[in-house]
Amino acid sequence: MHNSTKKWLAIKFSSVILIPLMFWFIVNLTSIYDEGYTEIVNFFSKTSSKALYSLFLIAAFSFFSLTISEVFEDYVNNEKIKNVATKILYLFAIVIPSITILSIFRLN
Amino acid sequence: MYEKNPLSPHLQIYKWHLSMILSITHRIIGVVNSVAMILICLWTTSLLFGEINYETIKVFFQSFFGKLLIISLSWSFSFHMLSEIRHLIWDLGYGFDLKISKITGIITIIGSLALTVLIYSLGKNLI
Repeated sequence: MHNSTKKWLAIKFSSVILIPLMFWFIVNLTSIYDEGYTEIVNFFSKTSSKALYSLFLIAAFSFFSLTISEVFEDYVNNEKIKNVATKILYLFAIVIPSITILSIFRLN
Repeated sequence: MYEKNPLSPHLQIYKWHLSMILSITHRIIGVVNSVAMILICLWTTSLLFGEINYETIKVFFQSFFGKLLIISLSWSFSFHMLSEIRHLIWDLGYGFDLKISKITGIITIIGSLALTVLIYSLGKNLI
């Protein structure tokens, strides 16, 4: 399978997973955003919230990194800049959700 | 010479139409949502620093600007979800007809506003 086909399939797969998780997250965010510290920690301490939020972060960062790299493909002329920008993007897409997921699992 | 060639999707050449506006908006909203995801991660991680340190964030979220941010985020997520469903339908081979494409475009715009109201109402137990 061609690399571009694999990338396209990865974008579509992450998109299908992301849509329901995005809906779940934004409904819950509007429910808790203005609550106190304890209520928010209680929400993220639930096993179901931890699992769904972790999945949401993985799906969202996979999807956004893949699609933003497509934007780089379309708008960045210089090959070197494009490659460096894409690698930095992928690095951030791994580091940021990993730190956040670890933080969530440290909440009690 | 090569580096001065216009790149896809040739924004400065074609006349703007609904599908083009939605396509560009989809990309811009995608970038906006990516930045929002980073802020959401920072917000979540900030919980580790304890209740006292969270007070400033709580005060912001309870202000008018906090509510505005969440409503804006609800719209940008809603738009992205509906626009992505539209793209998935295209990927299955449906909805390419010009008239259908315009209808689904309008549904995406109006639907994103309706979905924002629905999300906020569900979140705040208003329905």
